[in-house]
Amino acid sequence: MSAAANKKLMENIFAGIREGDRSLFIASLADDVTMTVTGQYSWSQTFRGREAVVRDLYGYVRSLLKEGRRTLPFRFIAEDDWVVVEARGNMMTKAGERYDNHYCLIYRIEDGKIREIREYQDSTLCERVLGPFPAARKQATG
Amino acid sequence: MSAAANKKIVQHIFDAMAESNSAPLLESLADDFRFVVMGSSKWSRSYDGKAALLAELFAPLRAKIEGRITTIPVRLIAEGDTVVVQARGRNTTREGEAYNNVYCNVLRLEGGRLKEWIEYCDTALVDAVLGDPADAVAAAGSGRST
Repeated sequence: MSAAANKKLMENIFAGIREGDRSLFIASLADDVTMTVTGQYSWSQTFRGREAVVRDLYGYVRSLLKEGRRTLPFRFIAEDDWVVVEARGNMMTKAGERYDNHYCLIYRIEDGKIREIREYQDSTLCERVLGPFPAARKQATG
Repeated sequence: MSAAANKKIVQHIFDAMAESNSAPLLESLADDFRFVVMGSSKWSRSYDGKAALLAELFAPLRAKIEGRITTIPVRLIAEGDTVVVQARGRNTTREGEAYNNVYCNVLRLEGGRLKEWIEYCDTALVDAVLGDPADAVAAAGSGRST
């Protein structure tokens, strides 16, 4: 697929996500997708496979937050297989604390499927508001 | 300028930074350039203009880092006037602690010059290793000239 088609796919995915609908995102993940939370903090690791991304990472995040969490994209940059998305979180923890992180997400797309994700975010805010990622859920570091 | 031309400019800047040479970067800054460290670290804010960049970001960074600062580009992704650079730092503090952060830099160019640099990185590592920028300058000023 072209860079323009890949960009369109991510725009469509985030049009859903900004309304709380993650179905196109999940449907677009390749079976063997990898998602790396970059850095050296407690959340930093590589989640391997769709189930790990959806259940072990996003499922855990969802368990900490109130319903209605949103991720609002504000810029898409695409070249070849790569699409970069800058986004702002609009979320509230179950304890009632705001969690509005800044994200730079890099997606590699092959034949209409997301094969690789790299997430850069404000780890200071993540650790302070969401707390450390549970050691029992950790996978191999990547 | 085209995405390819902008990418070439940014590649040149980062090839030099990988060799600890910031001269091409400084020569490419627009007068109203701004550098934004995203997030909530002690270093996170907007540094507006070349003078602020040098005095308020680079000076404390140089006070904290042993030798010259090295940043290695990993991948460039360009579209229109924007070039995204995934990069990896390879540095050591003057106290001997490794400071190997990972970066996603979103650069915007205009007429071949850098207008804006948005830096995403592991902000917890920034605070843990670099501490407070004011302390870095104070420590450098108090002990190292003797």
